[in-house]
Amino acid sequence: MSDRFWPQALAIARRDLDRERRSGEVAWVTIPFGAIALLLVPLAVGVNQDVLSRIGTGMLFVVVMLFGVLTSIRRTNIETPEQRDAVALLGIDPVAEFAGRTMASALLLLVFEIVMGAVAVPLYGLDLVGWGWMFAVMPLTALGLAELGTLSGSIASSFNAGPALVPLLVTPLAIPLLLGATQTVTAIDSDRGNLSWLVLMAIVVLVLAIVGVVTARPLQETR
Amino acid sequence: MSDATRRRPSVLDIVAIVAVIGALAFSLSSPRVESQGDAARMLFIHVPTIWLAYLAFAVTFLASIAYLVKGKLRWDHIAGSSAELGVVFTTVAIIGGMIWGKATWNVYWTWDARLTLTAIMLFVYIGYLALRRAIPDPETRARRSAVLGILGLVQLIPVHFSVTWWRTLHQTNTFRPRDIQMDGPILAALLASVAAFTIVYAALLRSRVRLAELELRAHIAAAAVEGPVAGDAVTAPAIGDGGAKP
Repeated sequence: MSDRFWPQALAIARRDLDRERRSGEVAWVTIPFGAIALLLVPLAVGVNQDVLSRIGTGMLFVVVMLFGVLTSIRRTNIETPEQRDAVALLGIDPVAEFAGRTMASALLLLVFEIVMGAVAVPLYGLDLVGWGWMFAVMPLTALGLAELGTLSGSIASSFNAGPALVPLLVTPLAIPLLLGATQTVTAIDSDRGNLSWLVLMAIVVLVLAIVGVVTARPLQETR
Repeated sequence: MSDATRRRPSVLDIVAIVAVIGALAFSLSSPRVESQGDAARMLFIHVPTIWLAYLAFAVTFLASIAYLVKGKLRWDHIAGSSAELGVVFTTVAIIGGMIWGKATWNVYWTWDARLTLTAIMLFVYIGYLALRRAIPDPETRARRSAVLGILGLVQLIPVHFSVTWWRTLHQTNTFRPRDIQMDGPILAALLASVAAFTIVYAALLRSRVRLAELELRAHIAAAAVEGPVAGDAVTAPAIGDGGAKP
């Protein structure tokens, strides 16, 4: 890893976050959209508080997963061919670019998760006992989804149907993350060991990071 | 079809047909399982098809790595063709499993870990095929789908181990070399079926890769043909008799 790796990765992350700050796509579109989804579920399944508190955690992570994909295909995250050529010609390490874009998306997804959690707890009457584990579950979920989103965005970029394909590519692959997140909470509720689910999530995050690092250069070369 | 593209059945094709007939004979002549009746014969389709789905997706994974390392389009053809076959075999395995489930559990579908994860695995590879269809340029398609072909393996691991990780309705893995709980004739029919289906997979893969190579040739030929140029419709004015007097 060269000395320029982290400065380059941080510069890319800062650029993405600046673009998001200016457009406000996640803050003003994705977050309210996710909150509406959480509001719609009780209207569809009935407002029985027992049922809602039982399905609440699962619904929270389903919304995080499905609407988190929108963060990956946000308008500010899609680069034009000219922008991509400029990044390549500047000599930015493709791995640093992958890391930077993933960091920016992970931060946005973490904020999204926290806001969705804050909406779900009162709406669904979720029990906060053992929610300290969420400090591990939420960053892992955000990081895994961000890695998947960045990878799928790179795979599906620069052709017409690309952005439409990203949800189909990301959602099935994110299942281990969804299972890990929801099973950890279930394990807390039933006093069973929850470390194995966190380990599963950590392994998925690690595997995705390895795939991202290994394939960053070939993906840059196909632009 | 021209003589260049027409081909006669290969030895592998003939062996595949013979193997399927043999496996069918084995399956139909195997003893009836009292507890499940004839529904148990679905095993001879379900187990080989799910095994081939794993094999096909594993081949896609390995061929994707080989493409990224070697850069030869033949590896991409193998990866794409194998994924297509994997999707077909997974669909057949799910449908076969549902028919068997109705006869045994009295439901077509249950939210069992193995069933659900297998259905999700199917969608991973449907996404892979959708990606391939969306990219017209062969080199770009090969490189990008290779990345997804590698990522797809992440899903294959939880599918296979789901019956161990979760207490599920689905039985544990059928083949456990140290603990075979199956009568000899049924085991022989099952192994014959697995062998026959594997030969069919090899024959289909070979044909599909050949077709992919023909598609590539057609793509290159179409790209080489000079298309219309702007201004083609404008013709030069006729000269020579313009000043002729009537």
